[in-house]
Amino acid sequence: MTRFYFWLTLVIAIATPKQVLAHGANIEYQETTAITIQAKYDDGTPMADAQVVVYAPSDLASPWLKGTTDKSGRFTFAPNADEDNVGNWDIKVRQSGHGDITSIPIEKGKLAVNNMPASSAGYTPSQKLVMAAAMGWGFLGTALFFSRKSK
Amino acid sequence: MNRVSTLFCGITLSSVILTSVIQRNEKKTIAAPIKEGNLAFVVNGEDFVRQGFVSKDNWEVNFDHVYINVDDTVAYSTSSSFEPQKGDTKESIDHQDKVSFLDTPKTADLAEGGTDAEPILVSKVNATEGFYNALSWKLITADSQSAISGKTMVLIGKAVKDGETVNFNLGFNNPTEYVCGEFIGDERQGVVAADTPGTVEATFHFDHIFGDANTPIEDALNQDALGFQPIAELASNGTVDLDDMDLASQLSAQNYQKLTEAIAGLGHVGEGHCVISND
Repeated sequence: MTRFYFWLTLVIAIATPKQVLAHGANIEYQETTAITIQAKYDDGTPMADAQVVVYAPSDLASPWLKGTTDKSGRFTFAPNADEDNVGNWDIKVRQSGHGDITSIPIEKGKLAVNNMPASSAGYTPSQKLVMAAAMGWGFLGTALFFSRKSK
Repeated sequence: MNRVSTLFCGITLSSVILTSVIQRNEKKTIAAPIKEGNLAFVVNGEDFVRQGFVSKDNWEVNFDHVYINVDDTVAYSTSSSFEPQKGDTKESIDHQDKVSFLDTPKTADLAEGGTDAEPILVSKVNATEGFYNALSWKLITADSQSAISGKTMVLIGKAVKDGETVNFNLGFNNPTEYVCGEFIGDERQGVVAADTPGTVEATFHFDHIFGDANTPIEDALNQDALGFQPIAELASNGTVDLDDMDLASQLSAQNYQKLTEAIAGLGHVGEGHCVISND
């Protein structure tokens, strides 16, 4: 009987919800891609502690991020991979009456290797399908021609 | 063979049909209405002109008028930022759209409106919605109808130092074309929407001529600037009324070179730099 009451008490103790004091901290992490820029004056002097403003492609007028360069004129940011933000990210750096702005092509949060294609030079999916079908028929027709039986 | 012929006809017919559908869809896209808004071109001498300043050699300079004669001003919309390099011309700007502002040259006074005035509106036009992030403009010799006939720029004002006052009227005839990237300032400019007008600005940095006492003397700005003292030394009865031909003969060669380089380097877009086109 004693053993029964022991196990019963144990089960009740485990099953009963307890009040948890949510006053702790939690850190999560994930790997991401970052872009580092370095700003310099014409004479090569780094623009240290210069004002930085980052504009995302989805909103040309509103700053996406603001910050300051370090002592070497460097600034690092991690562009998001939103579909709306595929394209040129513009980075503006200002200090002491001098400023510059540069565009960085980014796709899916990473530096685009090639320049973004102009919309006028790209093919739509339908055009690609037609071209593929035409090529396929070319190959098929050629194969059939050479496989015909001689009479 | 009949099967092959049938297959051939089927693929050919499909290709023709798909192509015509694509062209119809493309035509539908092209036919979409183009939205327009207003784009203004302003010129700005900044607080240096509106409120005066102290030159690198401690002359307190104030302007009554700063006339410039502008022409052939074009704003461009580029897909990525245009960063002008030495040797670039306006043909170097790879643009998707552009808009011109002036049919005829216009003389503007950068000192107009007082100490708290806004930049001076030169022209406002309709422009396709978009982001206009490059600019080119010319300073050309004013015609006889202008207040500064025969000149590209005239500075009128007075300078005071240690109780001495020098009234100046300096005229320059230095036709120049500036090719510039995006305006650099507190806010981004040049965004045009149907309900939101945009602005492009030609900014003139007159501290490049006279220097700035609020900037360290060893700073490149002050090292490259002429200052006001060399001009004050040319005064007759407290007045300097000279054009660039006079200044060329009366200033030392080194000082005249500083002056001409500073005049040429006046053009900016906010804090953004321009290059001078040799075309």
